Amino acid sequence: MYRRMMAMSTIIDVRNLTKRYGDLVAVDHVSYEIHEGEIFGLLGPNGSGKTTTILMLVGLINPTEGTAVISGYDVIKQPLEARSSVGLLPENAGYYDNLTARQNLSYYADLARVSRVLARKSIDELLDLVGLSDWKNTKVQAFSRGMRQRLGIAQSLIRDPEILILDEPTQGIDPEGTRDIRELVKELSKERGKTVVLTTHLLHEVDKLCDRVAIMKQGKLIALDTIPNLTNQIKAEEGADFEEVFLRFQGVM
Amino acid sequence: MPGLFTIAKKELLDIVTEKKFLLIFATLLIVVLVSTFQGAQNFMEMSSSSSAYTTLEFSTSGNNSEPQIKTLSIGSTNLYWALYSMVKNISTVGGLLAIAISFDAINKERLSGSLKTLLSYPVYRDSVLGGKYLGGFAAITIVTLTTFMAGIGVFVGVTGTPLTFDNTARLLIFLGMSVVYLALFLGIGLLLSIVLPEPSTSLLAAIIIWLASTQLIPNLGWAIASIVYPFSFTTSGNIGKFGPSSAHELLRKVITGISPSASFEQTVSGILSTSKMEFSGYTHVNVPISLGQALMTCLPNLIYLVALLVVVFAACYVTFTRQEIR
Ligand SMILES: Nc1ncnc2c1ncn2[C@@H]1O[C@H](COP(=O)(O)OP(=O)(O)OP(=O)(O)O)[C@@H](O)[C@H]1O
Ligand SMILES: [Mg+2]
Repeated sequence: MYRRMMAMSTIIDVRNLTKRYGDLVAVDHVSYEIHEGEIFGLLGPNGSGKTTTILMLVGLINPTEGTAVISGYDVIKQPLEARSSVGLLPENAGYYDNLTARQNLSYYADLARVSRVLARKSIDELLDLVGLSDWKNTKVQAFSRGMRQRLGIAQSLIRDPEILILDEPTQGIDPEGTRDIRELVKELSKERGKTVVLTTHLLHEVDKLCDRVAIMKQGKLIALDTIPNLTNQIKAEEGADFEEVFLRFQGVM
Repeated sequence: MPGLFTIAKKELLDIVTEKKFLLIFATLLIVVLVSTFQGAQNFMEMSSSSSAYTTLEFSTSGNNSEPQIKTLSIGSTNLYWALYSMVKNISTVGGLLAIAISFDAINKERLSGSLKTLLSYPVYRDSVLGGKYLGGFAAITIVTLTTFMAGIGVFVGVTGTPLTFDNTARLLIFLGMSVVYLALFLGIGLLLSIVLPEPSTSLLAAIIIWLASTQLIPNLGWAIASIVYPFSFTTSGNIGKFGPSSAHELLRKVITGISPSASFEQTVSGILSTSKMEFSGYTHVNVPISLGQALMTCLPNLIYLVALLVVVFAACYVTFTRQEIR
């Protein structure tokens, strides 16, 4: 019922989401909607509450107040249904060192109940996609940080989810890899209609990638719009880059 | 529960391919084989001499010329007597193996960052907990079964004791109890891995609990009972007996029974005791204990062990489902 009542294009509805740690308000009464098929950037300085928001969306931590609705399911009341359409790349994630890249993905495919036949094919494709095809039978303990991150991206795609949530996907990845990930995210969104929510500190990437961005500061949402609109909002001079816009919003410039 | 068996399968595979597991398993197996072999030989000697005997040893040491009774032992051909060391080894080495399996089940994954990935999949936390536990339980069952079969094989092979219905029933209950007991230690390890963030801390805590259960509490029970009810010399007919009074025995059992290991040993000793010694006029006789009687006497311990298991599991569930994973 609820699903039908919602505007067709809203796929994640964040409602008054709040997380308190004692006196610290890590996420402070934040509300916004994320539209189907868009690339949504969640930005803010260290400790502004981006990861906390994401972890509440996937049910890893409980909100102090408020909730969120993903694909029509309340993340508190129906956590399993809510996250079943989400592929997550967590911040600082780790994988199973004693297993190979392939075995890791095969475990995740089992957890996601992807059929064996389909999994075997898509695991190889995904490893190829993230540039790990030469390493597919290597144990993860021998992987560099960037290689682990690539494996994590492959993992987030294993269930072919409608929504991808990537917490700092380019963390530890070289420039070429960063470009590959940007192209991949674009392709997933534009050609396959996926919704992508990502956090990053690489503002020049945001410029090229995100349809809309939300800027957080000390747990509060301080801006939410497309990049051209945000640029207009602060009446930046012609040709100002997004870094400048971002820093102005943070009150640094 | 979606994901339960996927997680359990991975857990079991991880456990049985780990060196620490294989090492302790091999140790347990060797120790049980050797000690059961010895136990079986002693059992044979005892059955060939008389079905029951009493030994008193006197020593005249020091400046006191009065003889002092040093030891008294009563023996009988009793299943428990033959399998005593096997029970002891399952209780100690087996317990160690169970905590070695589970002490880092959750905190290792939390620390490496794989737990948040795992929990972002459409699986309930119950499934993660249940899967981890089930995998460990399967490993424990394999260990117990193998050890049990090897031990009983040696015992039957050496002594030629026929496996009657009564014997077999007792042995199977012993096997079941071993699994329950080890499952409890597995649960304790799992709980520690949830509550304590560092594997090194949870290992230390697990070892302390293991020591308390296998050594500390039983020794304490003995010491306290000996202070409250010291040993005394009693006579019955013309047979003198120096040893613990029944009040002493009871107090000791109650205190040591707090320890899961002692409770397990008491339960199993009750089940495997096919007979007991009783004084009758000038001699003493072996009075058989039926399986039903044996079960009744160890029922409190059995209930206690199962209740502990339930409490530990509930604690795991409550803490883990409420925990924040970041
Ligand atoms: N377990 C916790 N207890 C207390 N405070 C916490 C806890 N976890 C996070 N915080 C606080 O919550 C705030 C938000 O943290 P969060 O990880 O969401 O930031 P972030 O925007 O993702 O930062 P970064 O860019 O560094 O990843 C921080 O101030 C952090 O110190
Ligand atoms: Mg973060």
